[in-house]
Amino acid sequence: MSRHNPFIKKRRCLFFLFLFLTLAACNVHVPKDTQTLVWHLGAEPDTLNPILATDVYASRIDSFIYETLLERDNETLAFKPKLAESWEASPDHLIFTFTLRPDLYWHDNIPLTVEDIIYSFQRIMDPKVDAPHLRVYYQDIKTVEKVSDKVVRFIFKKPYFMALEFCGGMPIVPKHLYDNGLHFNRHPTNRAPLGTGPYRFVRWNTGKDILLVRHEKYWGKKPDIRSIQFKVIAEDSVALQVLKKGELDLASLRPIQWVRQTDSKKFQEGFQKYEYYTPGYSFIGWNLRRPYFQDKRVRKALTHLINREAILKELNFGLGKLTTGPFYIEGPSYNHGVTLDPYDPETAKKILHEAGWEDHDNDGILDHEGIPFRFEFLIPSGRRFAEGLATIVKEDLSKVGIQVDINKLEWALFIQKLNDHTFDAVTLGWSFGFEQDPYQVWHSSQSDQGSNFVGFQNEKVDALIEKARVEFDLKSRSQMHQEIHSLIHEEQPYTFLFASPSLVALNRRFHNVKVYPIGLDPLEWTVGP
Amino acid sequence: MIHYILKRFFLILPTFFGITLITFLIIQLAPGSPVSLKLLGPGGAGVRSDLISKEVIEQTKKLYGLDQPVYVQYGKWLKRLVTLDFGDSYKDHRPVSLKIREALPITLLLNIISIFLIYLISIPAGIFSAVHPESWMDKITTLLLFILYSLPSFWVAMILIIYLGGGEYLDLFPIAGIVSYGVETLPFWNQVGNLLWHLVLPVISLTYGGLAFLSRFSRAQLLEVIRQDFIRTARAKGLSESVVILKHGLRNALIPLVTLMGTLLPALIGGSVIIEQIFSIPGMGKLGFEAVLTRDYPVIMAIVAIEAFLTLISILITDILYVLIDPRISFEKVHQ
Repeated sequence: MSRHNPFIKKRRCLFFLFLFLTLAACNVHVPKDTQTLVWHLGAEPDTLNPILATDVYASRIDSFIYETLLERDNETLAFKPKLAESWEASPDHLIFTFTLRPDLYWHDNIPLTVEDIIYSFQRIMDPKVDAPHLRVYYQDIKTVEKVSDKVVRFIFKKPYFMALEFCGGMPIVPKHLYDNGLHFNRHPTNRAPLGTGPYRFVRWNTGKDILLVRHEKYWGKKPDIRSIQFKVIAEDSVALQVLKKGELDLASLRPIQWVRQTDSKKFQEGFQKYEYYTPGYSFIGWNLRRPYFQDKRVRKALTHLINREAILKELNFGLGKLTTGPFYIEGPSYNHGVTLDPYDPETAKKILHEAGWEDHDNDGILDHEGIPFRFEFLIPSGRRFAEGLATIVKEDLSKVGIQVDINKLEWALFIQKLNDHTFDAVTLGWSFGFEQDPYQVWHSSQSDQGSNFVGFQNEKVDALIEKARVEFDLKSRSQMHQEIHSLIHEEQPYTFLFASPSLVALNRRFHNVKVYPIGLDPLEWTVGP
Repeated sequence: MIHYILKRFFLILPTFFGITLITFLIIQLAPGSPVSLKLLGPGGAGVRSDLISKEVIEQTKKLYGLDQPVYVQYGKWLKRLVTLDFGDSYKDHRPVSLKIREALPITLLLNIISIFLIYLISIPAGIFSAVHPESWMDKITTLLLFILYSLPSFWVAMILIIYLGGGEYLDLFPIAGIVSYGVETLPFWNQVGNLLWHLVLPVISLTYGGLAFLSRFSRAQLLEVIRQDFIRTARAKGLSESVVILKHGLRNALIPLVTLMGTLLPALIGGSVIIEQIFSIPGMGKLGFEAVLTRDYPVIMAIVAIEAFLTLISILITDILYVLIDPRISFEKVHQ
């Protein structure tokens, strides 16, 4: 009866033995190259065309390949020459003239000229090009003209304080490669970028990695790191394991990883952790079109009811800074004079009472003029922070008789509800550039079509935003922004939560690592043994 | 027979178009627009306010042809399909067929290995249990397989990664991707070894959960068959036990397995979302899942069309196989 069974078992054993021998017999390891910086990517970029790209991964990679006319200084954040050796603004701030460096070549040794810049601008403005997100910023440019082979002029229709940032930071792509009749959106160069920067593109293994190597003929100071490999690993918990194995050199960490999973002695010996704040903040937005959020006293009371310090501790392990307004917490526009509304349920109850919200019908829920205080809290699914936050808010508000229903939606639906204004309260985070214009998020004209989806309308703020847009002096503009900050804080259309730091771990093989507000700059690192 | 096959084949076409039409409508009716794919930022970080404005969304819609009525869009899709052109992905503007061609071999490889292993382990296990019913080995196998069956694959995958592949405990296996970066520098057989080495953990994660069903299935079938008269006759003839079980018993018991074969072909190309995500494997599961999340209509439609076609073809093949292996079934009788 059992005669055939050992036979099958034997065959199976042989199979595994064979497999094992095959594995053991050949050297399947690929030796590690210590001169390469291996950098984690949480997702693969869609394209490496800097005009089409919208994700942070593409801009991270492109920043090594492509260059712009100006760049920000790591420390002062002021503009300094890059491709342009000098620039000049007309007194009315409408004309910006840039003079290119004489020694600029694309990586294929074709010289970079003013034509490339004009071509790039034309593509941004071309409605067939998939770059509407960029186009909105360049609407106000009348023309970009060639003055001479090395001099280019941007002429604006109206003055705007960010004009210099737009021309100085405009992505520039090689005309000689793109302008060959193929469609811009699906051009092969989008996946094999060619720029003027310190690193040259080598290969892109779809879904796996992207490799850049130092451009030996780079016009500027050559970096020490020979090549940079971007490895795609979707799960951040797996990425941390890969980092610990030494197959990644640089990776972002989640707060829990930063606090709990990277504190071993072995990890500390191999890696250095860095923390820095880039512009951005998270918030709870109240839809001001809803009856219960129309009264600013109620919004104030809600802020008093939300224990932000505890939330920061609980959900982010205390990593972050509480904010009171919509500006970069380390920038000049942030108004540090505005004091934080403390967690204070008693004051909140008093304010709600003053505003007429009481439990008239004894059903345990506050009401006012027949409307019960019951709202839907919209959160995107799959985001741990938002889920934790919603639960805590629901719990805290129920104590005073406000009922919160959590509505967790997939991202595509979430955005649709925001744009249709069919939500009551929402949580989200904004990220922005170092130069910040509150227009898109806070101007009343943007409440219908733009990003002001909470429907915030305030004449004073509108006037200040408009005034600040044409103020070219950083100091007086920052003052206006600070005023906007305190007005918005007064109105509380958002309950501002906190700015979260970027957390990264880097292999100690790399030296001369400095932390700037802008992040880390691998171009100045040196590689040790 | 030929007549029957032809008839079945012509029935496949309207079914196929029905499936694509319904899918197309469902996708279009589902809320959320493909334009939001532009906004799928990294988990915790913030969103850029320019990406979320209605103006940008409307312009992008127009660019993708999403401002046209649904029937025009479906018509255009069908027209392209006739020339086997699935269009361009909204996400990165690359041809969908190219994206599928990149993802398919990886998924095929993973699935062929894991399905092969599932059959290789579970059918002998089923036979063993059927031959020794109610023995303690039978009970232990059953218990073990059901425990494996109940373990969620993402959990098992993470445990395997941390304990067998991570940097803290045993560092035996690679945990991301299917080959090492720079594998092309190795000689051919070492490349194969490198690939197999990478596949160990994903294949284990894909395999263990599938064992229970198939082994139970073959156990039940075989138990039923070996109680029948012809088995007794075979034993009475003095045939050895292995011939009785393997030749007379198993052959008859495995006829229903052919039904399972029908689901095999489509299952081969549909990847496992969870395992591919955890092990950073750019296969079909990840492609399809991301396409659904970002409403990348051309990719979704292409995958649905291929899956539908393969399912329909496999059903037909299964029916034909029945006739070939089981003389008791015949199409001709159906016609009479």
